[in-house]
Amino acid sequence: MKKLAALTLVAALGLSACRGAETTTDSGGIKTDIGVTKEACPEAIDKTKGCIYLGIISDLTVGPFKALAVPITDAQKAFWKRVNQNGGIGGYEVDVTKYIRDNKYTPATHKEVYDEIKSNILALAQTLGSPTTAAIITDLKNNSVVAAPASWTSAWAFEDVIIESGANYCMESMNTLDYAVEKYKTKSVLSIHYAGDYGDDAAAGAKFGAEKLGLTFSHLKTDAGQDKQAGAIAEIVSKKPDLVILTTGPTEVATIVGGAYLGGYRGRFIGTSPSWNAALLQTAAGPALTALFEQSVPWNSWSTNSTGHTAMRNALTGKAPSEGYTAGWVWSYPLKAALEKAAANKDLTRAGLLAAVKSLESVDYEGMLPAGSGNFKAGAAGQFKSTGIYKVDPAGPTGVSQVKDLFTGPTAAAYKMEGACYLKL
Amino acid sequence: MVELLEALARGLGRGSIYALLALGFVIIFKATRVVSFAQPAFMLAGTVMVTYFIGTLGFWGALVAATALTALLALGVERAAVRPMVGKPPFVVAIITLGVDVAVRVVVNGYIGNDVRPMHDPWGLKAFDIGGITVQQRHVVIFVTAAIIVAALFAFFRYSRMGLAMRAASYDQEAALAQGVSVGAVFAVSWAMAGGLAAVAGTFAAAGESVDHLMWLTALVALPVIILGGLDSLAGAVVGGLIVGIVFEVTALYQKDMPWLGGNVSVISPYVVMLLVLLVRPYGLFGTREVERV
Repeated sequence: MKKLAALTLVAALGLSACRGAETTTDSGGIKTDIGVTKEACPEAIDKTKGCIYLGIISDLTVGPFKALAVPITDAQKAFWKRVNQNGGIGGYEVDVTKYIRDNKYTPATHKEVYDEIKSNILALAQTLGSPTTAAIITDLKNNSVVAAPASWTSAWAFEDVIIESGANYCMESMNTLDYAVEKYKTKSVLSIHYAGDYGDDAAAGAKFGAEKLGLTFSHLKTDAGQDKQAGAIAEIVSKKPDLVILTTGPTEVATIVGGAYLGGYRGRFIGTSPSWNAALLQTAAGPALTALFEQSVPWNSWSTNSTGHTAMRNALTGKAPSEGYTAGWVWSYPLKAALEKAAANKDLTRAGLLAAVKSLESVDYEGMLPAGSGNFKAGAAGQFKSTGIYKVDPAGPTGVSQVKDLFTGPTAAAYKMEGACYLKL
Repeated sequence: MVELLEALARGLGRGSIYALLALGFVIIFKATRVVSFAQPAFMLAGTVMVTYFIGTLGFWGALVAATALTALLALGVERAAVRPMVGKPPFVVAIITLGVDVAVRVVVNGYIGNDVRPMHDPWGLKAFDIGGITVQQRHVVIFVTAAIIVAALFAFFRYSRMGLAMRAASYDQEAALAQGVSVGAVFAVSWAMAGGLAAVAGTFAAAGESVDHLMWLTALVALPVIILGGLDSLAGAVVGGLIVGIVFEVTALYQKDMPWLGGNVSVISPYVVMLLVLLVRPYGLFGTREVERV
């Protein structure tokens, strides 16, 4: 009898777990299901409003992108706090603090913590990393969970549930080559990159760009860790390319640039956006970086004069400037736009939010990205393709200053996205 | 030829770091028959300490202070987490050291912060030009420092009372105990020495570079080094470290001529060397061959 009772209980629990959240309609006529509650958020400004819960999965402790991930997360907390201070969305405030998890930049951990929180959140305000997000993409699609990525791989152009901002690594490399050919008359390019869809994506863009521009192209996969860059340095010193595109982490950048400079290399380095950290200026490679290194960026830096940048700086008063803050802030706009549209459509269910994303023709980035950015309705064809170029500048708040404002080079402009770039490397 | 000689110089610098790390592993193994996986954490802890102390104590003062403090940290870990496990299978103790490694690194990561921590050592990327061959100053300093430490260690084990006690305990703990050797003290000194060596190795690994939370991975290269040299051989650790360092740099230099091997093949070269040596010498270059009655 006891066994029967236990089995019945287990079966009942199993059924209730499988059932998912029911769709309800609030007093304002807005449909909701998972991750939206009538009860106020834990840190609510207006206790009479309900709460939209968004999850954050980031690299917060031991992974290679912690230096960017922590400020990205802080910026997103500040972004959504500002949204709440301005009245929230559709009678709800937004919480991004309750379901923050650390992925340690490991796909398995990313999946594990996503499974932990997915039944409590409407969407993900941040899913950091390309390979990590790839570990949950099937589940995101199956359950219509919209997610703002903290990565720029070209694969996101083909995923409806991912609402990316800025040009992907592939476009960034093409723009870098157009810039280098115009400014430095570059004839040969070497791409040094991590394996995976961060580094491979940038290398694939450089490969395509080099073919179109008639440049000599080669690439070398390298590994994370400053003690593993001897091969990359030897490759640069022996091949002496006009341009080296670096798609690694910041510590590897310092080791490679410093080591190659010591070996006599005097060409140009341009690093993709996540490869720079202002603290590198204090390392022994600082002078070499100042002399040879530039950074390509998907949007303008911390100190730019735009409504969004100003709001960000005001919201983060007292914080030491970091481009991680800029990234976290920019990445949040599409989800805000989608939530506003879903609320206007009276449908804040997961399906409703995804439908809102698919109908977005543009996102208001408050000047942080040009008007017309964020055309998710157009799918891959609506991809934003502009890149900016910054040089190392010890006087700049984040160690860099602008060389060239956001631009779309002819190579990227002509490129038709037909699949993730990294698959073509 | 110039390139090869420069790679050899870099290899000796790199190899000196591996040798110091490997010595730490071997000293603990000889005393306790356990491979301590806490060495990477001690290396990171000592290196981060140097970055904090260097502003006030200067490089050498910071190195001495950090080495002493890391030795104390290792001593504390041995007393608190390892000593109570005496008599338990080595595998159990090894797993405990894995836990210690993770715990210590999490704490140390908090002191690294979000950005990399510059080392601000006196050498940076400065180099000597010796007959057209560029030799980095940091590599010369690392090699000389390691040579002095290795000589001091060998003298310690040969002439000091504690060194002799440690050698006796490594041969037969029960017999040493019967002769009045404090095996507990041997364990403690072994851990402290290994901690100090890890701190010195880490500091020189970061010289001219910076410290980030992935730096602990450098210490893992000491594992193929100790297998290659022989788990219980101090000389093996030194020779193995230098071999691996040189092979690493020479492979890195010529890997561009072997694209069919794939990308960054120098990274796996320590393991390839280890496998090749084990094929002909299963106990490593200088390891003690175990005689078992069957």
